[in-house]
Amino acid sequence: MPAYYLEVIVVVLGLTLLLVEAFVPLGDRRSLAWLAALGIGVVLCLSFLVSTPEQAEETGRFSALYATDGLALFYKRIALLTTLLVLLMSADYRKILHQYTDPERPQSQAGLGEFFTLPVFACAGLMWMASATDLISIFVSLEAVTMTFYVLVAFMRRNVGSLEAGVKYLILGALSTGFLVYGITWLYGITGQTELSAISEVLKEGAVSKTAALFAFALILVALGFKVGAVPFQFWIPDVYQGAPTPITAFLSVGSKAAGFVVLLRVSEPFIASELISSNVITILTVVAGATLVYGNLAAIPQNNFKRLLAFSSISHAGFLLMALASTPAGGAISQFSISPVSAISFYLAAYLFMTLLAFLVMTLVRTQRGGESIDSFRGLAKTSPFLALTLLIAMMSLAGVPLTAGFIGKFYVFLLAVNQHHYWLVALGVVGAAAGFYYYLKVVRAMYWEAPEDTSAPAIEVSMPTKIALILLIVAVFIFGLDPAPLML
Amino acid sequence: MLQEYIPVLLQILIAGGFAAAALILSVIFGKSAARNPTKDSAYECGMLPVGPGQARFSVKFYLVAMLFVIFDIEVVFLYPWAVTFNELAAGAVEKGQNFFSESYAFFWGMTGFLGILFIAYLYALKKGALRWN
Amino acid sequence: MLTLGHYLIASGLLFSVGFIGVLLRRNVIIIFMCLELMLSAANLSLVAFSRYNQTAGLPDYNGDVLVFFIITVAAAEVAVGLAIIVALFRSRQITDVTAMNSMKN
Repeated sequence: MPAYYLEVIVVVLGLTLLLVEAFVPLGDRRSLAWLAALGIGVVLCLSFLVSTPEQAEETGRFSALYATDGLALFYKRIALLTTLLVLLMSADYRKILHQYTDPERPQSQAGLGEFFTLPVFACAGLMWMASATDLISIFVSLEAVTMTFYVLVAFMRRNVGSLEAGVKYLILGALSTGFLVYGITWLYGITGQTELSAISEVLKEGAVSKTAALFAFALILVALGFKVGAVPFQFWIPDVYQGAPTPITAFLSVGSKAAGFVVLLRVSEPFIASELISSNVITILTVVAGATLVYGNLAAIPQNNFKRLLAFSSISHAGFLLMALASTPAGGAISQFSISPVSAISFYLAAYLFMTLLAFLVMTLVRTQRGGESIDSFRGLAKTSPFLALTLLIAMMSLAGVPLTAGFIGKFYVFLLAVNQHHYWLVALGVVGAAAGFYYYLKVVRAMYWEAPEDTSAPAIEVSMPTKIALILLIVAVFIFGLDPAPLML
Repeated sequence: MLQEYIPVLLQILIAGGFAAAALILSVIFGKSAARNPTKDSAYECGMLPVGPGQARFSVKFYLVAMLFVIFDIEVVFLYPWAVTFNELAAGAVEKGQNFFSESYAFFWGMTGFLGILFIAYLYALKKGALRWN
Repeated sequence: MLTLGHYLIASGLLFSVGFIGVLLRRNVIIIFMCLELMLSAANLSLVAFSRYNQTAGLPDYNGDVLVFFIITVAAAEVAVGLAIIVALFRSRQITDVTAMNSMKN
């Protein structure tokens, strides 16, 4: 089975759900979420049957537009898994969503169907991003995802926060699109090619203007920095994360970031491999990584809203990931080191998926049943719901990078790579950032375990069966890959 | 001959330079004119204008216009396809493969594209986006 | 005789006008118009590059195809974007970006 069947199936699934939503009267629209989750789950299983490049007969221009390598499949699976969990979360989030879309009619389910369908389309875009190796398909897939997120972020149309988040995301997203397009234009102008492999060859020959090449790279880096949450385009993250519906925040912070990184990996490769500009490119990446690390970690310290805290943490993780990217050997030199930056970044993102979605799943439950997202809402959670408190404790430990968790291994590889490439300043900033991380992640843990609940008579939080299974599987994943990272290494 | 125009050129330069210098110097030395909603209002002192200045359009116009723009712009992909259609079809016929094989991908691709547009149209119709009342 | 450089300068100016507009203007709609200007700037230089990067006497059509995609994406972006802006205006009656600060802690 060729790999692009996966995207086709996901798009067809999305279209079917849309038609079902419009034409079939459903008692409970949440069945659409279960249906979507089931479909995505099936595609996730199918992704293991996809033929590898050697088996597939690759002909014509299509193979230049669409990669089917291990990297692409890895990120397709990340996109599918994220979408699956986001759909589960969305079903739990129904009550809050309804409160802000149609508060006058308590039984109405208007808009709920679209809320479960749009993530499926976003997933198709994310999967395509993982395979895009041509500037045109990179642009179109990126925009397919961004456009879906505009709608999803602003979905709670009676909630000022959600609408403001939507407008902010819209303006900065469109601005980054402008930069991306202009960068692509210049890259196309100086090389005369749109396929990344052909661009790589032209850049390696070195018969291009160095200034123009660096200009194009800087524009594209800024635009992709918006996707992954890197300086100088990080300032949308706190407000948008806080305002968006919680499942969508989770989707943004994991799915969008992972797909952004795979595109960044593919686009920066020709630049790093070209001897003409590689040293400048590495310098730019190092500066961006350092600035992102400092900003994300230091700004996270005073936060009191848990969602906002996770937003800054998402920026700081982008910093660690960029640190790994900046540790790529320049000029196409083959490193003797056993871990490549690509596999370190991929492992880090997979670990990030497990721990972040764990935190967001717990937060969705606390938000819907305790009604708040500030750290105070988590006070005394260990007394009322010990399982959820333990889950969040594990997520926070992994995010902070405590040994035996997947988060620790991810950070460990990143630091190894940076030391190997002698980026000692970056390592120092990373160590400071990780130390700050311990402080702000454990703030939540302190609230859960050492502080009395606001309302002692509050009932325990109910956890639905699918959510409980998802939580347990994610916890297992955090520990298994924390002990043996090999299965997740590319 | 062109030298006769040098005074005109100088005149333009001085006039432009003076204007630019006046603007720049006022920014540098002038009291910083911080903008705020009060200063941006039509009358900084005196009566505030009452009511909106222009009539508002119904949001229905906007909805129909947007749907038109979306469906209209998709036609852009049909033009290059139509222009190259004969060539692609001739190439596919020459290969003599069946209608569902890869050489007819150009046809099935456009069919899929139009199919997606059709589903979008059905959805808009069912949701009442085109109903005027 | 117009050269590639002329087109690139015009497109660069258009891009700068758009970018400066985004930075300085405070009305969301005008900011949005400036963003579209930036996309048009890219379109202009893409067409110019495709015209001047000739292969075997023909323009390189990859650039033109990208222009089609950019136009379509921009139209979709406007449709979605204006819907969000209208929704915000209906709920809060504002179009000024500096007034969108309900989330500063």
